[in-house]
Amino acid sequence: MWGLNLQFGVGGVANLAYVVVVAAGAYTYAVLTLGPPAASGGFQHYVLGLRLPFPVALASAGLAGGVTGVLIGVTGLKRLRQDYQAMVMLVVSLMAGTVVAADTGLFNGNAGLSLIPNPISGVSGMTSGWPYVGIVAACCLIGFVVLRRFTTGPMGRALRAVRDDETAAAAIGKDVVRLRLVVQAAGGVFAGLSGALLVAFIGGWSPAAWAPVETLALLTAVIVGGMGSDAGATVGTLVVTVLLLQGVQFLPEIRSHPGLKEALGWMTLGAVTIAFIWVRPQGIVPERRPRHGREAPPTHVGRIEPLPPPASRPGAGGEAILEVERLVRRFGGVAAVDGASFTVRRGSITGLIGPNGAGKSTALSVISGFLEPGGGAVRFDGADVTGRPAHELARRGLVRTFQLAREFRGLTTLENLLVAAPGQRGEGAPGVLAGRRYWGGQERELVARARGLLAMFGMADREDEPARNLSGGQKRALEVMRALMTRPRLLLLDEPMAGLSPRLAERLEEVLLQLQRQGLSVLLVEHELDVVDRLCEQVVVMAQGRVISTGRMAELRTRREVQDAYVLG
Amino acid sequence: MPTSSAEAAAPALRVRGLRAGYGDAPVVSGVDLDLACGQVAAVVGPNGAGKSTLVKALLGIVGFVEGEVVIDGRVTTGMPLERLARLGVGYVPQVEDVFESLRVRENLDMGGYLLPRRERARRVERVLETFPALRPRLDRYVETLSGGERKMTALARVLMLEPRLLLLDEPTASLSLSVSRVVLDQVRRLADLGKAVLLVEQRAAAALAVADWAYVMVRGGIAMSAPARRVLDDPAMREVFLGARASAGG
Amino acid sequence: MHLLVDAVGFGIAAGAVIAIGAVGFSLQFGMSNVLNITYGALMTLAAYLGLFLLGRGLSAWAAMPLCAALVGLASVGFRRLVVAPLRRRGTGALGMVIVTVSAGIIVEYAIVAVAGTAAQSYGRQSGATLHLLGMTLTAGQVAIILIAAGLMLGLHLLLTRTTLGRAMRATAANPTLARSCGIATERVGDAAWLLSGGLCGAAGVALALTTVSFDFTLGSVFLIPMIAAAVLGGIGQPYGAMLGALVVGIASEVAGALWDPAYKDVVAFLILIVMLLVRPRGLFGAAWSARRLLA
Repeated sequence: MWGLNLQFGVGGVANLAYVVVVAAGAYTYAVLTLGPPAASGGFQHYVLGLRLPFPVALASAGLAGGVTGVLIGVTGLKRLRQDYQAMVMLVVSLMAGTVVAADTGLFNGNAGLSLIPNPISGVSGMTSGWPYVGIVAACCLIGFVVLRRFTTGPMGRALRAVRDDETAAAAIGKDVVRLRLVVQAAGGVFAGLSGALLVAFIGGWSPAAWAPVETLALLTAVIVGGMGSDAGATVGTLVVTVLLLQGVQFLPEIRSHPGLKEALGWMTLGAVTIAFIWVRPQGIVPERRPRHGREAPPTHVGRIEPLPPPASRPGAGGEAILEVERLVRRFGGVAAVDGASFTVRRGSITGLIGPNGAGKSTALSVISGFLEPGGGAVRFDGADVTGRPAHELARRGLVRTFQLAREFRGLTTLENLLVAAPGQRGEGAPGVLAGRRYWGGQERELVARARGLLAMFGMADREDEPARNLSGGQKRALEVMRALMTRPRLLLLDEPMAGLSPRLAERLEEVLLQLQRQGLSVLLVEHELDVVDRLCEQVVVMAQGRVISTGRMAELRTRREVQDAYVLG
Repeated sequence: MPTSSAEAAAPALRVRGLRAGYGDAPVVSGVDLDLACGQVAAVVGPNGAGKSTLVKALLGIVGFVEGEVVIDGRVTTGMPLERLARLGVGYVPQVEDVFESLRVRENLDMGGYLLPRRERARRVERVLETFPALRPRLDRYVETLSGGERKMTALARVLMLEPRLLLLDEPTASLSLSVSRVVLDQVRRLADLGKAVLLVEQRAAAALAVADWAYVMVRGGIAMSAPARRVLDDPAMREVFLGARASAGG
Repeated sequence: MHLLVDAVGFGIAAGAVIAIGAVGFSLQFGMSNVLNITYGALMTLAAYLGLFLLGRGLSAWAAMPLCAALVGLASVGFRRLVVAPLRRRGTGALGMVIVTVSAGIIVEYAIVAVAGTAAQSYGRQSGATLHLLGMTLTAGQVAIILIAAGLMLGLHLLLTRTTLGRAMRATAANPTLARSCGIATERVGDAAWLLSGGLCGAAGVALALTTVSFDFTLGSVFLIPMIAAAVLGGIGQPYGAMLGALVVGIASEVAGALWDPAYKDVVAFLILIVMLLVRPRGLFGAAWSARRLLA
């Protein structure tokens, strides 16, 4: 159950094939613990039959679940629409049922497997199931602790960021593909384990036990409880299993309609799901936002935190931090960027201006790795980075912002900043397993840095606000702050002033100038030309995909070709 | 836009105190417009001034619209889009201005959706007189056409209902200079046939050349409202587009 | 060899049933941008309605249009009462799929509550067989192929020749522009759901006619070949779905004849997965698809 919450709520991948993963775990456990088919009297046929001890079989089941989860998740890598993915998942689960039911050699077909041992069944004198319940409870407890570490730490934060906006997550250097597979694998492991525990408890398993309705039951539990909230998943499970599925058992049995009770149970389940999506889509226990203690006061209030030491290799690149050479990008037959060449000097703020449709934003997207170039080259800090993926460029220190703010809606303002910090200890496997002890110190530093930034933009009081509640201007400011949290060496800003209040805009100008003095390089796309005038020594003018002029803003204003580009279009 | 010929007739479009935008922030505010039949009013201004939002606000397809929009003497604020077509309002969006997966003929047919079938066939012939280049393309799917042909299809489609008021959102965007000249000449001719045209354009000089009146939009408001010719020759125009010190050197 | 020819014949018959369903499914998605999983359950509903009418002495061929009409109305009702209000409340695409899955389960288990879980059959004798181009087909299969061909032709004429059909395609292509032309897109949407619901009903009865026996999971299992056909042709694109249905039908019957009948659906499934990984927009590319599927 928690496994599904992880995949669905946190990962944003509706895994309607969840039951398939549970089944994978169950079957793995079954065929590993059962004796060879011949030994069990030959009445059921299946592969393997290794009679492995319980812990090994359990671990294998978890592994099988993880692998299945990843395999199913591969379809998600094509970045299909979410509902489309959900449909595929549904088909996968229908399909798996059909195959297993039809193939008698693999898992004994439609009849299913039975007489599956559990760890206490061999112990003499233990006839009741209670000791096993104890084992299951212990496993669940361990699982819950691991899950909490997974979802509440920096790892969970990064995953929720990917769920909210993949593009923006790539822009701050998160490897989206890897993170999504991690979610699938982790959710799969949980599902596989739960399948193994379940099958050991009932002692048998057949395709009928995992019809798609079972997945709906799990999904309902997550939706009723609240997506992305562990406590919610627990509440939801209780509500769904106790109230709905067990509740119908107390209805009087009507002899003429033997299946009526179950049917009513499933119908109620469907109705409850629809009702919750209709009335309370956030569930009973909405996703909770971790609050950060007061122990980390903002650092460097009112002045800019120092940037990392200039990390560029000595001798590399020389004067220019960014060189763009004859860059081309076509959409259909139209060349949006048509052979543009320009450079950004190390430590400068360079402006990039031009009328609508000149190709400025497209150029920015190609340089930052969000669009494949159709030709030309991009050199960053002396290294050829043409066509490298966005998250890799971000890690190298080339970070962009977006014209329309792309905040991580479900994260708080503070979390939006924290998630952007590079090299977080809590985002790796040791961080997840060891918990706060391992990454707490680093986290405190990051909180302090983030609070420093927030204070600078006068947003300190909004740190626990979900980012979706910020005003348009604050979202834009957040976008820039988030980019700064990555400690970039070259910042590509796409119209950062648009939508900012005059006060925030003024603040941003000051911040950019201060950062420049500390060695930050900036490429600024902006249509408020007065701003460009104040900030940039050098300005590049683009029109119809090409660079038509370069110079200081004051000179450019007097040039005929620039005036024509603007007024004639 | 008071001119002697138009004073008698009711203005095709009258806008007072328009305020509109998305979410809670207005993109345009305090906009007043007047437009009479037989005239082209150009709305020009730099990137992000709110020109497209203005057109969408007139049609009620933005987040919120406040103020008064009067078309042919009728208040249309809050009226559903499909009813505006019956009032004789034709709209050509900047992008997604045609039904991509339909043939040219079918696009025109949908433009005349509100007409009886036989009348539609007659109108197709009439708009083809205006856009003869489309005749050999009638059975092609629009997605196979060139940019200029697409825009002509879009214009021909709105003409099917013989609208009295045309709202054109940057019809020359993404067209080459020569093709956009052809399109703008058509726009002028339509006005000469008695239609009122609100022409939103990024290419200010070209648009002003065919317009009677000019509204210069800056930061969501009307910064200048004057006869098109005067605005075209005004050095202040360059200031609006390029900032404070443009006129000094230019 | 003879086996193969026969399999192709059966494949065409199976493809005919898939086509009726897949075209309706694709049309609905193209019009409303909702992946309606309830569609499978409504097919089951049609099959059981047919069973009920057969019990009242109606012939299967008379029951089919009646079931189509009833399921068409149910489909419009579902749009009006559930899909449209949720859309206005801003429910996302993912929420919508979960809603249609839930609604499908409600319909399925409502059927169980009334008719039980036992396998049902229209109990038709196989009737005369016909030999065409070396293929052997039952009269029933031939009838269904003809019905499917008739429905496809009718739909084609509706979509290309009538004002309503063109308005449907226009609305699918660009709803805002359609409204600006004066098209009442809500009413056109209702008409499209009526139409696709009708196809769904016809497909349900046709499916029940061609299977030996069925139970309440009939329609949801049939979602596999149907969605495979729709995706193969570029989902949202009815013509693609017609062709996709034939490919899926023939491929699965031939595979069933060569290997194991149980693997028919596996072929459909493999087609679906390969298409999704390689060409999610369908064989005919983006131009054929009315909706963008890539996020």
